Amino acid sequence: MSNEPIIRTSDLHKKFVRDEFEVHALTGANLEVHRGEFIALMGPSGSGKSTLLHLIAAMDRPTAGAIEVLGQDIASLSESAVARWRNHHIGFVFQNFNLIPVLTAHENVELPLKLTHLKKGERHQHALTALKLVGLSDRTDHYPRQLSGGQEQRVAIARAIVTDPDLLLCDEPTGNLDARSAQEVLTLLARLNKEHGKTIVMVTHDPHAAHFASKIRHLDKGELLPEGEVPEDWRAAPMASDDKT
Amino acid sequence: MRFLPLILKNSLRNRRRSFLTISSLAISLCLLGVLMALYYALFFSEPKADQALRLITRHRVSITMVMPLHYRDKIRAVPGVREVVTWQWFGGMYKNEQREQKYFFPRFGVEAARMFDVYRNFEIPEDQKQAFMSDRRACILSRRVAEAQELKIGDRVYIKGNIFPIDLDLTVKGIYDMDDGNEGLWFHMEQIEEGLKRLGSSRSFAGTFTILAESPEAVPRIQNAVDEMFANSEAPTRTETEQAFGLSFLAFLGNIKLILMSICAAVTFTILLVAANTVAMSVRERVREVGVLKTLGFTQQKILGLLLGESLAISLIGGAIGLLLAQGLCRVLAVGLAGFVPPDQLTIQLPVFLALLGISLLIGVASSAVPAWNAARTPILDALRVTD
Repeated sequence: MSNEPIIRTSDLHKKFVRDEFEVHALTGANLEVHRGEFIALMGPSGSGKSTLLHLIAAMDRPTAGAIEVLGQDIASLSESAVARWRNHHIGFVFQNFNLIPVLTAHENVELPLKLTHLKKGERHQHALTALKLVGLSDRTDHYPRQLSGGQEQRVAIARAIVTDPDLLLCDEPTGNLDARSAQEVLTLLARLNKEHGKTIVMVTHDPHAAHFASKIRHLDKGELLPEGEVPEDWRAAPMASDDKT
Repeated sequence: MRFLPLILKNSLRNRRRSFLTISSLAISLCLLGVLMALYYALFFSEPKADQALRLITRHRVSITMVMPLHYRDKIRAVPGVREVVTWQWFGGMYKNEQREQKYFFPRFGVEAARMFDVYRNFEIPEDQKQAFMSDRRACILSRRVAEAQELKIGDRVYIKGNIFPIDLDLTVKGIYDMDDGNEGLWFHMEQIEEGLKRLGSSRSFAGTFTILAESPEAVPRIQNAVDEMFANSEAPTRTETEQAFGLSFLAFLGNIKLILMSICAAVTFTILLVAANTVAMSVRERVREVGVLKTLGFTQQKILGLLLGESLAISLIGGAIGLLLAQGLCRVLAVGLAGFVPPDQLTIQLPVFLALLGISLLIGVASSAVPAWNAARTPILDALRVTD
């Protein structure tokens, strides 16, 4: 693990304006993530954990503060540059998989590679490798509707890693899965981190899922708590977690 | 090209809707294609070499009015004129009204001795031609008329006059083919003259003169010279090309150009509305996917291209099917419109093909431009928040 952080946020703020109301989703978040880390961002609903993840993925822009990912001030990039940057450096896993229903598992995984300069044969091979890595080499021609939830999420992970990104960002990746599938997905993520050195930032409100990470950071009401600190109301009812398992 | 499979799969993802949209585009573009082919054939098709040498002179006021027969010799004397033949629309009724309504065919009285010199595209065996020219009670028929009326050489044909108060009793002496689809029955002009004489009229007249020019260059000169010659006479003339003369019949229906163009515009606009509605619906259902694509690294431009491509794919598939249908329909219509449009001209010619292709592309782009642009510009998070 290198000492150089690949994600660094300083006094990061995000404010949403909904009609006449202002919502401070993130207030002064300071976060450092080093290469090879698997960090879980935890917190109750509305704590700002997904907002932070979206800012790291450059899917949104901060209201104030600085954010540097892989040495790049992503807030300064244009819309097109940010899209290319995301394609090269970020793999994103959604809670509800978000596979394209008209494409097979292989075609879904190959999709981000269409934005690269790889030739058809190379794209095909890369997609097969990614599917093999997630244990779905026998499901390449299946459409999302023909797969279970766990399999869909594994295809989504294959799609996220197929470009060999520096950073894998997962937004509640087990939120829509049964306990067994969730376990498979979390094991897979842990393996990607340990065996392939992928840096992973995972948002979850599930303590069981968070335990797969090497580091847990909590957020509460838009504030990123110092390492090791847990929100008070969570301390009162700790580990209500395994209701999923 | 690497996005083509994705574009095609997305275009056809809702099969029923795609089928209905493509069908409506195909039918509309078929109608548009036929109208445009008809428009092109009527107003832009090149006359055949033989036809380009022929001019038709008629009464300036109306085609129903006649001119003195002696005009023929004066016209023949105009420099550049090789031959002139007189002919007269007879009208009349063959057998009964029902039959006339079911299959009408024109009947012309003509100067038989000269007609083959002017209309050199009659394909008729020499013996039949001679038999026709040598018998004043003879007539010749186009093959289609003969087949439709089940007439053969030697059969008697009785035509009851309605424009002229005389009846004709003719014998079929020949059956001809003609490359411009000219259908009809031709008999000796003398039949009309003699019939009228029997009724006490001694007037010699002609309904129409067909002039054969010596060269295509002489045509405009003859046209002016003939009309100037009779400008101040009792029966002023209008001389026009054979093609323009054919179109003058259509003019009875009104401003054909305007009618055809109006229908074409209405059809195009209607297809545009149908396509725009479908595309808007299709894009609206997939805004979330736009967010996913953006997360994967697709730029606004790429997403715009994908959505426009999907719409173009639908409109081009519809356009291609419409073109094929239009070509088939043109072939059917060519038979019925043979009197106005040469059958080989009523087809999807290259300019019509290109125009239809352009309209298909225009429909594809115009119908999807706004929804695609809006979807492509939707911020990622807003797009991802949209629920299915």
